Amino acid sequence: MIRIEYLEVQYGRQPPALTIEQLSIKRGECVAIIGPSGAGKSTLLRTIKGYVRPVHGKVEVMGVNLATAGRRDRMRVHRKVGVIYQQFHLARRLTVLQNVLCGRLGQARFWGRLGSLVGWFSVEDRRQAWSAICEVGLRPQVHQRGDTLSGGEQQRVAVARAVAQQPVIILADEPVSSVDPAWAEDLLALLTDVQTHHQATLVMSLHQPQLARRFAHRIIGLRQGRVVLDCDPASLTEVGLKELYRGSDVISLDGTTSRPGTGRTRTA
Amino acid sequence: MVPPPAPGRAVRAQLRTGIGVLIIALLVWSWLGMMEESLINLTDAPRLMADFLGRMFPPDLSWSLSQKRPFDPPLRIAGAMVAITLQISLLGTAGGMVGALILGFLGAENLTPHWVHHPIKIALALLRSIPVILLAMLFFVAVGLGALPGMLAISIHSIGMLGKLFAEACEEVDPGVWEAMDSAGANWLQKVRYAIWPQVSAQIFSLTLFRLDMNIRESAVLGFVGVAGLGLWIENYRRAIDYQSVATLVIVTMLLVLIVDQISFHIRRRLR
Repeated sequence: MIRIEYLEVQYGRQPPALTIEQLSIKRGECVAIIGPSGAGKSTLLRTIKGYVRPVHGKVEVMGVNLATAGRRDRMRVHRKVGVIYQQFHLARRLTVLQNVLCGRLGQARFWGRLGSLVGWFSVEDRRQAWSAICEVGLRPQVHQRGDTLSGGEQQRVAVARAVAQQPVIILADEPVSSVDPAWAEDLLALLTDVQTHHQATLVMSLHQPQLARRFAHRIIGLRQGRVVLDCDPASLTEVGLKELYRGSDVISLDGTTSRPGTGRTRTA
Repeated sequence: MVPPPAPGRAVRAQLRTGIGVLIIALLVWSWLGMMEESLINLTDAPRLMADFLGRMFPPDLSWSLSQKRPFDPPLRIAGAMVAITLQISLLGTAGGMVGALILGFLGAENLTPHWVHHPIKIALALLRSIPVILLAMLFFVAVGLGALPGMLAISIHSIGMLGKLFAEACEEVDPGVWEAMDSAGANWLQKVRYAIWPQVSAQIFSLTLFRLDMNIRESAVLGFVGVAGLGLWIENYRRAIDYQSVATLVIVTMLLVLIVDQISFHIRRRLR
């Protein structure tokens, strides 16, 4: 589904943000990317989406090499890759339904796209939007404006918007970092449910390793733009984590954080 | 011990003094020019002004027709003139808004590549730089006298100002929503409609209403060069040395502007 070979991504003259020799993610996998901040988690997701052009190397998504493919092929992939953002990025003044319908914008042909400008959506569009809204459990709030919802609810709308796209791949960039910690597990459970239900491939970057271990089937650790860890959750060890987060706050598997050197621990 | 002042501060103080001297010199220069060009007669000024205002008083509120006067009494034509002034400004503002929407979205730095928004920004600045009276005269040549040239002049003039303000409104929106729509595969128009429009629509309507206020005043002024409306009749009566009728129409114009100002103020407050 996703195949990366000899990839190098660089911003300006800085040292490479991403150097990956070999990484492949199969269809239906649920992958969590962990690592200290600045390790290149977001860059990896943006590269898979096609927003970041690699300096060299190959990024093959759904059988299309994003670096060399033509516009038509890239757009075909683009439409089938849904993204969920840390800051949700909803249109605040639109209702839940309108926001979710926005996920359908790319699916229509010429006339459908023209119709969408005056708020006209096809029966299929509305059916998909409704089922996405029901799936994330926001049916009662369907006509509420985006800015009246809580953080957790807003992220559910963002999930529904991505689901309405009928994505083959779902990318989630720190999906739970901006919501109440109490909601984080619910949201990740929802995301993994959605992923299983639609047989999509889910790649998410997460800040907390203990959440990654609970919800992902595979964990990839990034450090300074390199893959230093690639294992299933059961074989994720404290030693491996210490190595991954060396020099920054260590977040251990039981959810506590300790600063290097001080020996003190505090609850994350 | 007092630390010696940083060298930068001394330079800045000198710069400030220099700018102050420059401003005063400019004002003195302007005043000298004024003295040269006008025959200043301040002793007579209050008397002349009182005389002029006296001839305007009382405003002509008569309704009956008379053969002796060159024109109908002002109140009889006021209604029709208020209507045409409003019509010119409403259509002119609407035309300006449509043009400004197109150029505003295309001229926003965050929505189009630089080879699109740079030329459009320059075009908008050029439109703003042409005085509205000059535009009206240009359209007299093109479409003849009457209301239409006024409407066109006001449209074009409004595009310049509204287009710039709309573009600036677009440049302040949250870029994340734009990217989210893009990642759903939306095209440019769809992104403008769903990522930008919901964020800027209230501001756009508010700015347009504000421009409507200005356009009513503009269209009254355009009357002096021949566009139909209140201004034209103020000028007609003035030429006939009928200052009492001028006073009536000036009052009508002021009332119209005040009423529209109040209405648009209340609507704009609700839009926020």
